[in-house]
Amino acid sequence: MAFAPIRIPLSQLARGQRAMVECSALDALPSEHRCLLAAMGLGEACEIRVCRPGTPCIVQIDRTRLGLTREIADRIMVTPIESNSP
Amino acid sequence: MIARVALLGNPNSGKSTLFNRLCGLRTKTANFPGSTVQHQTGRFATATGVEIDLIDLPGIYSLMLEMPESKLCTDCLEGRIGDGRPDAALIVLDANNLARHLQFAASALRRGLPSVVAINMVDLAKRRGLVIDEKLASQTLGVPVVAISARTGEGIDRLVEQLTRTVSGGSVANPDRPFPESEPGSIKSAIWAAETFGRIAAHPPEVEADGMTVHDRLDAAFTHPLLGIICFALAMSLLFASIYWLAQFPMDAIDAIFGWVGLEITLFLPAGVLEDLLVNGVVGGLAATVVFLPQIVLLFFLLALLEDSGYLARAAFAVDRTMRRFGLPGQAFMPLLSSHACALPGIMATRLIPNQRDRLATILVAPFMSCSARVPVYALLTSVLFAGRPILAGLAFTGCYVLGGIAGLATSALLRRTILRGPSTPMMLELPDYRIPSIRNALVVSIDRGYFFLKNAGSVILAIAIVMWWLSAYPKSPFTQESIALQARASEVVQSDPAAAEDLQLQARRFDERAQQAHSFAGKIGGALQPLFAPIGLDRQLTVAVLTSFLAREVFITTVFVLAGAGADADSEDQGTLATIRSATREGGLPLFTLPTSGALLVFFVLAMQCLPTLVVVRRETGSWRWPLLQFGYMSVVAYLAAFVTYRLMS
Repeated sequence: MAFAPIRIPLSQLARGQRAMVECSALDALPSEHRCLLAAMGLGEACEIRVCRPGTPCIVQIDRTRLGLTREIADRIMVTPIESNSP
Repeated sequence: MIARVALLGNPNSGKSTLFNRLCGLRTKTANFPGSTVQHQTGRFATATGVEIDLIDLPGIYSLMLEMPESKLCTDCLEGRIGDGRPDAALIVLDANNLARHLQFAASALRRGLPSVVAINMVDLAKRRGLVIDEKLASQTLGVPVVAISARTGEGIDRLVEQLTRTVSGGSVANPDRPFPESEPGSIKSAIWAAETFGRIAAHPPEVEADGMTVHDRLDAAFTHPLLGIICFALAMSLLFASIYWLAQFPMDAIDAIFGWVGLEITLFLPAGVLEDLLVNGVVGGLAATVVFLPQIVLLFFLLALLEDSGYLARAAFAVDRTMRRFGLPGQAFMPLLSSHACALPGIMATRLIPNQRDRLATILVAPFMSCSARVPVYALLTSVLFAGRPILAGLAFTGCYVLGGIAGLATSALLRRTILRGPSTPMMLELPDYRIPSIRNALVVSIDRGYFFLKNAGSVILAIAIVMWWLSAYPKSPFTQESIALQARASEVVQSDPAAAEDLQLQARRFDERAQQAHSFAGKIGGALQPLFAPIGLDRQLTVAVLTSFLAREVFITTVFVLAGAGADADSEDQGTLATIRSATREGGLPLFTLPTSGALLVFFVLAMQCLPTLVVVRRETGSWRWPLLQFGYMSVVAYLAAFVTYRLMS
C-alpha cells in the first residue's frame, strides 16, 4: 500500500475514510468559519469519518454530523489515518 | 416570586422542545426592554408556587462567535439587554453529543450565573447503552445536573425541582471550578470535555462503522443533486396535498357553525342596521377568515414534524446547489422555509446569515414565499378555478408555492447581478440525528400559531370587516325604479302565487343591493380606482378587496364577503361562506370570479407585497426605508405585470 500523503484536502477523502484534523488544518479558512467549525466539533485534534464525499461533503466527528460545501472541504487539510482505497 | 431564567443551548440540543414542554401554550413573543430584539418567553409555575419566566435564547454553538446570536446571548446573560442579569441559566445539552456539548456548558458556567444543566435526549442515549451519573456530573460541574428527555417528559419534574431550588438561592455556580479558560473547539477545551465525559458517563464501546450505515445512505439520498431534489419536491407536494385534504373537514364544520350563528341572529333580531352589522359585518367577516384556521394550524403542525424529523437539514443541502446558482446562500434555506409560514419570523431568522449581501438578498426575496396569510386566498381562488376537481385544485395550490419560489430565485439572481454583487458564504450545517418527530411538540407549536392567527382575526381583521361593512352600507341609496316595479308586481300576485311573489321580491332586493354597492363609499372608492385594475380583470368590488388586502392579505376574502358575498345571493343563509363568495356576481350578472380574473388574482396574490408588518420589519432589519420601499415597488410592479399576462392568456 502506498503511503498516504501527509496532508490532503478533506474533499479528496473517499467515502468511509478516516482522517485526523491536526494543528493548523483550518488555517486556510477565514477566522469566523474556523471558529464556528471548531465550536461545531470540527476543531484541531479531532478524528473525522467521511460519510459522503462530494457536495455536500458530510463528515462525522464523534457522533456529530456536519455537512460542508465543497469550498469549505477543499480548504481543510487533513491527515488520513487509514485508506479504504487500494 | 417570579424568577427570570435564560434558556441556553446548541442548535439541535432539543432546547425548543424543552421550552414547549415546560411552558406549553403560555408563551409570548416580546422585545427585550429598550431594544428591538425579539425573543420568546414562557411562564410556568412550580409545585412550590415559584413562577419562572423562561427566556428562549437562540441556539448557538459558542458564546464567543462573531455572530449576532452569540452576542445576543452574552448580552442577555450579562444584563446588557432586558431587565438586568437573569436570575439563573438553564443550559441544555445533548446526551448523544455530550463531549462537545460539555464544552459549551463549561463556557456558559464560567459566566458565574446560578445554573442548572439539563442533559437532554437521554431516552435515545439509553438505547445506545450510555449511562450518565447525575451525581458525579453535578459534583464535576458544580451545579445541579439532571438527565431528561424533553420529548418523553422523563426527568422534567426533577429538573423543575432543581430549577426552583436554584432560583430560590439554593445553589450558585462556582466560577472557580477548573473549567478550561478557552472557548469550545479549542484543544484545551476538547481535552477537558473528553476527560469529564469519561468520568460522568459510561458507555459500551461504539461499534465503528466501516462501509455505509443506514444513516449514511439516507443522507446520501436526501442530499443527492437529483434524488435529493425529487425527495424535497415529493415531501413538499405531500405536505400541501395533505393540508388541502385534511383541512376540508374542519373547514366545513367551522363554516356550518358560523352559518348557524348568522341564521340565529336573523331569526332573533329584527331586520335593520344592527342585524345587518352582526350578520354581514361581524359574523360573516370573521367566518371568512377563521374558516382558514385549520389550514394554518395544519401547515405549522406538519412543518414542525418535518423539522423535528431531522430531514430539513438535509433538504437544505439538496436545494443549496440550486439556490447558490441564483445567488442565495445555503443559510437562506431555513429563513425562506419559515417565510412559508410567515415572512416575519423568516426575515428575523436571516440574522443567522453572516454575510451582509447574502442577508439583504434573502430579506428582499422572503416575501415572495407563500405565507400562511395567502393560504385562504389560494384556497378560495384555486377552488373557483378547479371547482369539483380537488386534485387539480391541489396541484394549482402547490403551483402557487412553486411560482413564489421561482419569482424569489429570479429576483435574487437579478439582485446579485446588479445592486448586491459579490460572492456568498459557503454552508456549514450540523445534520441532526433522524428521529420520530414529537407530536406533542408539533401540537404546541401549531396551536400557538393558530391562537396568534385567531387573535389577529379577532382584532385587526374584525375591525377591518366592520369598517368595510360601514363603507359598503353607507350612504344608503334609495329604492331603485326596477325594485319598486317588481315589488308592486309581487304584491299583486302574492295571493294567487306566493312562490312567484317571493321570487319577485328576491329580484327586487338584488336590484337594491346592487344600487347600494355602487352608491356606497366603498363602491365610489372602487369605482374611482377600478380603471387601474381593469386590465387584470377586476371589477369595482374586487378593486376594493385588493386595496384592503394591502393591509393584510387574508382580509381580501373578508372584504369580498362583506362587499359582494352577502348581497349576491339572498339564499346565502343556506350556503357556506365560501359557496356564497364563489357564487357572487358582478353588476352585469356575470360571476364575480370568472376564470381569467381568478387566474390573474391568484398570480397577483402570489407575487404582490401586501403586508404592512413585513415592510416595517424589513425597515428594522435593514436599518433604512430604502429597502422596504424598493421591495414594495418592485413586487407590486412584478405582480401587476404577471397578473396582466395571466389575464390576457386566459381570456
